[in-house]
Amino acid sequence: MIELHDVWRLYRMGGETINALAGIDLKVSQGEFVTIVGPSGSGKSTLLNIIGGLDSPTMGRIEVDGQDLSKASDRELSLYRNKQVGFIFQTFNLQPTYTALENVSLPLVFAKVPLWKRKRIAREVMETVELSDRLRHKPNQLSGGERQRVAIARALVNDPKILLADEPTGNLDSKTGEQIMELLTRLNKEREITFLLVTHDLKTAGYADRMLRMHDGQIAETVDRRQVL
Amino acid sequence: MRFLDLLRSTFSNLRRRKLRSFLTIFAVVIGASLVSLLISLGIGTKDFLTAQIKATIPPDVVIVAFNPKAFDIGIGGPGFGGSPREVSDDEGSPFTFRPLTLENIEAVEALEHVKQIDPYVMLEAESVKLQGSDRSFRTEIRAMPQYQVEDTELVAGRHLTEESQRECIIANQYVDSFGLEQPGDALGQEVIVRVRQWTSWIGLPSETEDYEFTIVGVTEKTLISTQVIISIEEGKEISRFWADNPDWYTDKIPPAILQVKTEGSQYTDQVARAVEDLGLGAITSKDVLGLVGTIFIIIQAVLSAFGLIALGVASLGIINTLIMAIHERTREIGVMKAVGASRSTIRLLFTIEGVIIGFLGGAIGVGIGYALGLAINRISHATFLKDFQTFNISAFPWWLIVGVIALSTIIALVATLYPAHRASRLDPIEALRYE
Repeated sequence: MIELHDVWRLYRMGGETINALAGIDLKVSQGEFVTIVGPSGSGKSTLLNIIGGLDSPTMGRIEVDGQDLSKASDRELSLYRNKQVGFIFQTFNLQPTYTALENVSLPLVFAKVPLWKRKRIAREVMETVELSDRLRHKPNQLSGGERQRVAIARALVNDPKILLADEPTGNLDSKTGEQIMELLTRLNKEREITFLLVTHDLKTAGYADRMLRMHDGQIAETVDRRQVL
Repeated sequence: MRFLDLLRSTFSNLRRRKLRSFLTIFAVVIGASLVSLLISLGIGTKDFLTAQIKATIPPDVVIVAFNPKAFDIGIGGPGFGGSPREVSDDEGSPFTFRPLTLENIEAVEALEHVKQIDPYVMLEAESVKLQGSDRSFRTEIRAMPQYQVEDTELVAGRHLTEESQRECIIANQYVDSFGLEQPGDALGQEVIVRVRQWTSWIGLPSETEDYEFTIVGVTEKTLISTQVIISIEEGKEISRFWADNPDWYTDKIPPAILQVKTEGSQYTDQVARAVEDLGLGAITSKDVLGLVGTIFIIIQAVLSAFGLIALGVASLGIINTLIMAIHERTREIGVMKAVGASRSTIRLLFTIEGVIIGFLGGAIGVGIGYALGLAINRISHATFLKDFQTFNISAFPWWLIVGVIALSTIIALVATLYPAHRASRLDPIEALRYE
């Protein structure tokens, strides 16, 4: 499903070149739940952004379902982000002036779905994340857990094949974090969504089928829970 | 992104920052209302002058003179900045007239579509006064063919007739000058027109003669505010005294200028060209209007420049507003990109926002310009244009309304180019991290 071949991502910072990714080879199969752990600056987020089509590799090849992202145009990449991928961020990144329902509808706007249909689809997804009674609330009227569930609904609204989450529980207390992780695990199982999750927290990482530990832009260790068990 | 969603998003963004949106649009409004009002004043004034010129030379008339270059007084003509023009020995000086020959007159008369020819009677009167009054006034005696007299709009009395003897029509403005209450009071009164021989122009001894006329009509108010209209035959008689030459306007000395009436205004150009083919000079109301038109284009260009400067400044406001909006909405742009907005969609979002500002500003500006124009018309009709009720100093043709809105929109569109490009190039990862 997702294949990375010798992917490099270099940044120039001042006069220095930083290898955010230094020759990553990775295969993720459909429906797999993968967590990526490692210290700050180890390249976790960069890896996620490249798989999500927000960033492009400096060298190497990345294929998703046979589509070569490293050669895709801006239009193709935006279509990919719209239809195939859902992003979940640590800081939720909800639009403060929009209601929960409008926030969830945003990807549908760029998918050219008409307003009446957007409302129907967004309501359904809000039901999935158990927020049917919060449709008209603005983000500042919601709790942290509710906000993250709105963000999850937004990521799900276009029925993507891949969910990418960057520290989704980082801004939540541990109890709420657990609830969110249970929701994500359920979605992964029920919908067969391929799930990549970046985290600091080893407990969170424990939900995954496979755990990658990154160091200095390379995958230092892979722990496959299915093999361990 | 669907067009409707683009508009929805734009208006919601404009609403979000009400004061700033209002101020940005207001700057465009000032420019657009200035441009539209100034151009409308130019159009109104030009329409008025055009109507006045048509009153002097009717549209179906060709004025004919011996000298083919007699009417060559346009821009670039003698002394108007053009290079000195080479002349032939018999051409004379630019403002010289010489009598047409009888053959000339016959040839003009024989032209196709010529209905009637009359001499253009040249004469100069020193003053006019009401019988029994001691107050004299400047005057311009116009001896007109009957058809032109009949085309003159009157507010009181009647036109001259073929049988008129010593009758005249006076310009409306004399009613006040003569100390009369209303135009009707002038009817039946006698005026004395004093004529001094032309030799006085160059300081030679001259005589004067008084001619008495009965007022039978009063014209509408026009710019020709000192005219006294008399019949062409009586004009010739006065002219002979003025020129001190009893043979003028007889077969011995034919007129220098002819007023040729054509069968209709659609033939005016054709007759004028035919007259020129005879080697004579010709001018029509259209020629004079062309000259006036050129002058007005220059005046309008200068006036509109002020409005355009205002619109230019407003476009800086649009650029500023959009750049501020990019800073405020950086994170939002990042999210939009993450959930599937392409560069061109982001560019379009900002472009539409600027274009809507320009369009709204243009539309409101034209509306305000129009309202100010109406107010100016009202005020002017109540004060200094009291006597020209049909004349609107500000005129708004449909193309002015459409044109100013289009201009504001296009200027705004140009102003959005840079901010929209900048927004579209934002790196989504940087944008999502932006605080």
